[in-house]
Amino acid sequence: MTTRAARRWRQGAWITLLLAPALIILAGFVTLPLLAALRYAFYAFDGLAPAGFVGTANFETILFEAPYAAWTMRALGHNAIVFVSLMLFQNGLAYLVAFALLKTLPGHRLHQVIVFLPVVLSAVIVGFLWKLMLHPLFGVINAALALLGIAPHPWLGDENTALGAIILTNAWHWLGFPALIFLAGMQRIGAETLEAARLDGAGDWVLLRHIIWPLVAPATTIVFTLTFIGSFNWFELPYVMAGLTGSPGGATDVLGLYAYRLAFGSATAGLQDFGRGSAMAVLMFLFLAMVSAVALKFLRRREMEL
Amino acid sequence: MFAKTTRRLLLAATAAFAMVASAAQAGEVTFWTWRQEDKAVYTDLFAAFTKSHPGITVKFEAFPNENYNTIVSTALAGGKGADVLHVRAYGGLEAMAKAGYLVPLDPAKVPELKNLPADALASETLRADGKIYAVSLAGQTVGILINKDLFATAGVAVPTNWADFLAAGKALKAKGITPIANGTATPWMVAVFHSAFTNPFLGPQFVTDMLAGKTNFEDKRYVDALARLLELRDMLPAGFTGVDYPTAQQLFSTGRAAMFVGGSFEIGPFRRANPKLNLDFIAPPAPAAGQPTHVSRWFDSGFAINAKSTHSEDAMALVRWLATPEFAIPAAEKLGNISSLSNAPNSDPLLGKVAELNKTAMPYIMLVHFRYESPTGSDLLQDGVQKMMAGTMTPAEVGKMITDGIAKYYVPFQKK
Amino acid sequence: MGKPLRHPVMPERLKNSAIQILLVINAVIMLFPLGLMVLSSFKSNAEIFDSPFALPATLDFSNLLRVWQDTEFLQYLGNSMIITGASVMAILVTGTLAAYALARYRFRFSNAIFLFFLAGLMVPLKLAVIPLFIELDTLGLLDTRLGLVLVYVAMGLPSAVFILTGFLRSLPGELEESARIEGASEARILWQIMLPLARPALVIAAIQNAVPIWNDFFFPLIFITTDSRKTLPQGLTVFMGEYNTDWGVLFAGLTLAALPITLVYIVLSRHFIAGMTAGAVK
Repeated sequence: MTTRAARRWRQGAWITLLLAPALIILAGFVTLPLLAALRYAFYAFDGLAPAGFVGTANFETILFEAPYAAWTMRALGHNAIVFVSLMLFQNGLAYLVAFALLKTLPGHRLHQVIVFLPVVLSAVIVGFLWKLMLHPLFGVINAALALLGIAPHPWLGDENTALGAIILTNAWHWLGFPALIFLAGMQRIGAETLEAARLDGAGDWVLLRHIIWPLVAPATTIVFTLTFIGSFNWFELPYVMAGLTGSPGGATDVLGLYAYRLAFGSATAGLQDFGRGSAMAVLMFLFLAMVSAVALKFLRRREMEL
Repeated sequence: MFAKTTRRLLLAATAAFAMVASAAQAGEVTFWTWRQEDKAVYTDLFAAFTKSHPGITVKFEAFPNENYNTIVSTALAGGKGADVLHVRAYGGLEAMAKAGYLVPLDPAKVPELKNLPADALASETLRADGKIYAVSLAGQTVGILINKDLFATAGVAVPTNWADFLAAGKALKAKGITPIANGTATPWMVAVFHSAFTNPFLGPQFVTDMLAGKTNFEDKRYVDALARLLELRDMLPAGFTGVDYPTAQQLFSTGRAAMFVGGSFEIGPFRRANPKLNLDFIAPPAPAAGQPTHVSRWFDSGFAINAKSTHSEDAMALVRWLATPEFAIPAAEKLGNISSLSNAPNSDPLLGKVAELNKTAMPYIMLVHFRYESPTGSDLLQDGVQKMMAGTMTPAEVGKMITDGIAKYYVPFQKK
Repeated sequence: MGKPLRHPVMPERLKNSAIQILLVINAVIMLFPLGLMVLSSFKSNAEIFDSPFALPATLDFSNLLRVWQDTEFLQYLGNSMIITGASVMAILVTGTLAAYALARYRFRFSNAIFLFFLAGLMVPLKLAVIPLFIELDTLGLLDTRLGLVLVYVAMGLPSAVFILTGFLRSLPGELEESARIEGASEARILWQIMLPLARPALVIAAIQNAVPIWNDFFFPLIFITTDSRKTLPQGLTVFMGEYNTDWGVLFAGLTLAALPITLVYIVLSRHFIAGMTAGAVK
């Protein structure tokens, strides 16, 4: 009786000990300042200082009043496009790359190093480089297309192609990360399972679709969640490539840029309003938290079933 | 105040941590700016200040322009920041002054304010209390920088009216020279471009009507002026929607484009980038021959004292000195600016010419009059004109969008 | 599983060659922009614009030298290494402990705590920079490297806990059970049995956090004002602002900023890959 209680107590203490350091740091340096910032969302601002409690007025402004409502929805739509295209294109490609690396063809170690190399670079470097490559006058991409007889195009200056160009840049930058998570997941499947399937006559496609895919479910959950949150918090790359206003004409504006711009203004056009900026941040958080909670529940169940 | 409650909240939550006061040196005034590229000039001038004010040294700190707002407002909200701050003018200044972050400059205690003309003082005044919060640094003038050699080799005369301007564009293009270096990828450059060419068509009467609340940006005069910009699309570089500010600078400074539509503040950097460039600064074309030309003008930035400064006396000495010709004349020469001070002429012939053009200047409307509340006129204008130049919005739609956006807080635009 | 296969199987060799070719194309696409950056750092402004993709006419080190001489490069580099290293270590240690608790034990609030960590992943912390500034000031941590490290650890923990929990949860329970039956202490099970199995996830979490911390210039710009404590991206951002139209110098700055972490990555890549494949050996 007592030994059992003692063991339970010891287990509880052990778990507390494991969790405490991380929880204290997270609460102290993320949660606490965020809660403090959250209060701003309920205040009107006159210049840089709060000018009185206004309830939900800031939320109403950014959700329902022109021109803010249209800007909010535009940014949200762009984030959704970013998420879907990264899931399909970047992560789909990463899945295939991981499978190609799993085959341990000659040079696979080198390929593994290379595919991950861009991930270590900063968004500033990547954005700057790709901006130059996509340049309408001097860019290598237009030069290459000219060889194929395609007319030069201002990729980042055209409302129809700017967002796509930045998404492709993001895929280049981050491809290695989901590829590696998938690879780590695939390697845990074990050679015997794959060998057995092969002996059963399964080709690559069947392997990818029916054997590996279900077994990398935990990796998929991680990739999906990180891509989702990353897409809706997207900030640095569009900031470097298209500026704080999501140039041209807001065609690359996303929620991250928009919230930052509302709060801190831009040096060359806008004013600062911490109230509206914080309200936007609160809405973004609530949206992400709700969708992630639902998605995780679904993905976890899928992991269990498979 | 927010800072105080937050601090208390945090103190309660984090119990016993020793406060470590950062001991600043006595007699050292810190100065913050976003003008990283002017570091050498300021360092020299501050050394001269120390010479005339023994015992006070100035520590220069520059931050990236695009992060400056964030850095300064964060520091000020936390009761920190430099003793003397480089601040923006108009709405940007008001945002800081309204929050009580800056020390008002009393003309009795800062007699040097006499050196500044009324419109320069107005740019650093909080309209609500009528007090001046900063010493204005420079006036900026928007016009057209031209490469005289390119015009000469192409055998094209420098145009002064709209029809000649379009013809000159065609002639330059026929010789394989890009007439205008500007693109529309950088929003604030779009606003500069817009102001340069629309102001002569609008004329001073439009501004007067606008400020009297008699008209708005749906005015036919404004929509027609916007439509003029579309005629210039052929004169811009190929793929101009993707040409950003640095690219435009490159095209002009390397002699690939004959004109650069920009501010007088570009003169210095262009001379540094290519000393051989044979530069001139002209007014944008008049609507027709014989009509007056108008450059656009605004006051750029100023120097203010942090209300939380622990060296307020030394900071005051520095700000007073910044309003004297001892600072203004060499600063204007070295920075290539036109000082805001009325008694600080610039001996540079090109800047002298700009000063001459300023006599018929019109205000850079959105910054001077519609950047006090959100959404600012600048926000709306940059967005709209960028789209208009790309062909996805019409001039009338842009005029309506600007008017509707400003109407949110500006009573004369609100339709009953 | 084993669905009967009807379509003719491509000869394995041919298929492998095709995959190999695709991998090589992929490698070229991955490496090309990097080569471009390094080459451009040797070029003059005019060269970059006239022939952006040619080899530099001469091996001109003046751009790189200018970055080296005009900044406290080594000082900034040292600070960045200290700050990144300390942050990643702290994230891995505290993150692993927390993830282990969440993944391997059943207890009350375990789900709520997991969601609390996950929520930390979704917050735009840039917008809380004012309260964070005031907090660091109150704690006397403003303008210190420790303050920056604590902020980075807090920011990095959510993703680390998320990744590590996911991996630890999927580890088989038998080893753990048999060790427990043999009377091994909980700490010993964590350290000697589970941790080695989690190596790939640790490597991923380490890199995933090291990169953004190494590259961040936003928080240092706001929190660090003393020159001797500035980080590399912070110092170079300010430096490059002075040369914002000199693209050669800009590229030199970018190259030098990227060089240290790229070198570290390449040097460690063998361990990195070994760490990755460790999971396969079961």
